Amino acid sequence: MIELVSTLLLSVGAFFYFAGTLGLLRFPDVYCRLHALAKADNLGLGFILLGLAIQAESLAAALKLVLIWPLVLAASATVSYAIARRADTLGIKPWRREER
Amino acid sequence: MNPVMMIAILRRGALLSFLWWILTEGRRDAWVAGFVAIGAALWLSLRLCAPRSTQISVGGLGAFLGYFIWNSVRGGVQVALLALRGRRALHPGTLELQLNLASPAPRIFVANVLALMPGTVSVRLNGKRLRLHVIDERMPIVAEVKALEVLIARMFGERV
Repeated sequence: MIELVSTLLLSVGAFFYFAGTLGLLRFPDVYCRLHALAKADNLGLGFILLGLAIQAESLAAALKLVLIWPLVLAASATVSYAIARRADTLGIKPWRREER
Repeated sequence: MNPVMMIAILRRGALLSFLWWILTEGRRDAWVAGFVAIGAALWLSLRLCAPRSTQISVGGLGAFLGYFIWNSVRGGVQVALLALRGRRALHPGTLELQLNLASPAPRIFVANVLALMPGTVSVRLNGKRLRLHVIDERMPIVAEVKALEVLIARMFGERV
């Protein structure tokens, strides 16, 4: 049972990583790519950590895996802000949809 | 030693001990190094963040965490679907808005959290002015930022 739930969570996590990478490749500018990386990858990581935590051998090991999530979230939010601000300082204009 | 300091030492000491227990996965022989690490971390935490300088409300933290986890999922699903549909699904734009939070720490926190919330990435925080990049201009971003601001204000014990 735990095996099954864990596999499911890991697959969902892998899907979000895939979608985040797809966004990184397909989106038109640095700002849109940050959306894909900051949000999809972090959710993917959350699911993968949860999937690993439920098959951990001890409570402490499970909590240790879960603890990685907020730390990576903090780092990734800060890095995303740093990249966006640098792009803005360099005068990179956000991509806009052409009106028909 | 005054009671405020005593309570801060006990609470932070307990929290740091718990963290150490997690990091060492409950190994008993790690506690010698643990006492040194916990002591150093406690000293640093009291120096960098004096007791009572920022009070985090527990109820406020709970409310924020619930909102945060739900909206992380929403944001992730939304951007994943956009990525699958490619750039023809995007309606990006920028948005300037004014934050109402009085102190800088919660404002920085808002700017950081918005990078993980649906449709927004913080581009520049200048005092109270915040510039956002939004992935879809048709989304009700302003209302969602306000809702987040109210939750964070409550957590930091502020009124907006």
